[in-house]
Amino acid sequence: MTELILQAVYSGLLQGGSYALIALGLALVFGAMKVINLAHGELVLLSAYIAYTVESKLGWNPMAAIPISVVIVCIASSAVYFVVGRIKTNREINSLTLTYGIGVILTNVILMTWKADVRTTNSTWMQEAIVVGPFYSMRSEVLFFGVSVALIVGLWWWLSRSWYGRAVRAVSSNRDAAKLMGINPGRTELVSFIVAGILAAFAGVALFSYGVITPAYGGVLTVKAFIITVLAGMGSIPGVLIGAILLGVAESLTVTLASSALQELAGMGLFLLVLFVMPNGLFGASRRRG
Amino acid sequence: MKQTRTRIAAALLTLGVLSGAQADELAVGVQIPMTGALARVGQGTEEGIRVAAEVFNKTNGKHTIKLITVDDESSPAKAVAAVEKLASQDVVALTGGYGSNNIGPAADAASKLGLVYVSSGGVDDGLVNSGRTNFFRINNTAGYQKALVGLVTDLNAKSVSVIYSTKEATTGLAKGIEATMKAKGIKVTTHAFDPAITDFKPIINKVKLQDRSEIIAMVGYENDYVGILRAARVLKPGVKAMVGVWSLATPKMASDFPDLMPKVYGTAVLPFPVAFTTADGKAFADGYRKLYNKEPDYLGQFGYVQSMLLFEAIARAADKGTLKKNGVAEEMRKTDRDTLIGRVQFDAKGDNKNFTQRMGQHQGKQVVLVWPKEAATGKPIYPGVPW
Repeated sequence: MTELILQAVYSGLLQGGSYALIALGLALVFGAMKVINLAHGELVLLSAYIAYTVESKLGWNPMAAIPISVVIVCIASSAVYFVVGRIKTNREINSLTLTYGIGVILTNVILMTWKADVRTTNSTWMQEAIVVGPFYSMRSEVLFFGVSVALIVGLWWWLSRSWYGRAVRAVSSNRDAAKLMGINPGRTELVSFIVAGILAAFAGVALFSYGVITPAYGGVLTVKAFIITVLAGMGSIPGVLIGAILLGVAESLTVTLASSALQELAGMGLFLLVLFVMPNGLFGASRRRG
Repeated sequence: MKQTRTRIAAALLTLGVLSGAQADELAVGVQIPMTGALARVGQGTEEGIRVAAEVFNKTNGKHTIKLITVDDESSPAKAVAAVEKLASQDVVALTGGYGSNNIGPAADAASKLGLVYVSSGGVDDGLVNSGRTNFFRINNTAGYQKALVGLVTDLNAKSVSVIYSTKEATTGLAKGIEATMKAKGIKVTTHAFDPAITDFKPIINKVKLQDRSEIIAMVGYENDYVGILRAARVLKPGVKAMVGVWSLATPKMASDFPDLMPKVYGTAVLPFPVAFTTADGKAFADGYRKLYNKEPDYLGQFGYVQSMLLFEAIARAADKGTLKKNGVAEEMRKTDRDTLIGRVQFDAKGDNKNFTQRMGQHQGKQVVLVWPKEAATGKPIYPGVPW
């Protein structure tokens, strides 16, 4: 039983890392602009399909797709910003409808371009097992867990130390005051969308390397990312990693100790419990100020 | 004399016009998921439906079929809307549907509108046990169950872990497999999983450390098989075989996932590479290759068979002038002929009472039929797993 639980916690930890990578971009835009980008999952999926194309057509390792994915997904993410940026009233609510619509369009573009077939990497290197004592995982899972942690640290540093990162936080806190301080809110928000695009590009390549993709999968990714963002508390980047790992471990332990059919229920149960006890999420604004 | 000739010419012309009216184009509705979660299987089935229309229109000199396709977006509500939209366009019957939860409400809507609905995309027994009089399907749970249990029994396995998706059709099939195998004295452990699961390692680890079964039976869909096989490849449980059902023993899976498929079993209608020997089979294969420039797969075969049977029933009803008097349903009930999936006859509930699947195994780049013995094209490699 101990062996089962240890493996479950390890699998949950790695799964949490992948969830965090998917949720980061959404959390950043949500924190910076109070916009829930419901097309975020489709941006991640777009990157995953670019990785598929690079592997299947060029025979390259999926990692080689990252620069191409970054460029294309950043352009797509900027396009989303330019559409969302045109909303003048009730941006929080109207952007929901708008980004949902963009998500539907992107899903169908992916479907028409890459067809409906199930895709995943055929890279043997990525799929090979890494066994450390009682812990089993794929190379790609460990690799992208590391990438996820590195990106979270990098994003946290960027937000707290760089001029643009501070500008994003300033615009997020008070758009008008930030303007008076000489910050261009439009440009700052565009930067946050571009950074979210970079994160989505990494997440997509990771997803293709250890998971299975289909054109309809974008919605599932967005929902998962949204749950983690709210669980973490709006705007908290380290909270995304902790929330994602909590979710991953809770799901994995549910499969091991109860039933695999209850996995999603356990995730949603945790989400509701945290919101009930801590309405601002694990690391929400009120907690951080305190 | 001149007047007589004119009268004869007028009569012939009238006859010609009348016979022309009888050979009018008959519209058939195709309600199918072309987008959404079921897009892959929906598109595969729709390809077969198109080939059926092409072949029928070439071979049946009297009637032609015009297909009107509406995408149900893999959603039950949109499946109902699609049926209603097609009915408003005067279709005489419907073919298509995928997923029991989409087919059920769509078939109800078709029934209310008095339209025959034929499908191969739903194996939940509730579809034929709910009193629908205009619903027909060419495959069912029993056929898949018989094949999988038959293979496991012939392999003389003593214990099986069944890993199944909690979707309606897969749950029904898994429960049936569990009951039948238990009745045969095989130890069965089941693991239901939510369709949203992507990491199967915790489940496979339970099989490895707790169940210690000889065989893992997978009842799910393509993405689930890939996830399960990948997790098994990492954890390497001590099983002797990986067995699944639909969408697994296909040439497409062999080419798309070459590292995961070796020695994996799945239900199969035909081996691969396949040589169609019947005239119907050749017509289908030629038509398919011409339209899509690729080798036919099992989804296309099912779509072709269900639609060809429907078109033939429509033609017979049109000949008898009973198209508007529930004649299509009556003609469907009279169906009794050999097809690409074997002999098809519908029982009173609209189910194909002869449906039986076969079991194939990925061996090299081929799919070899290994069960039943009378249809086998090779011997099973057992024990044998992809890792």
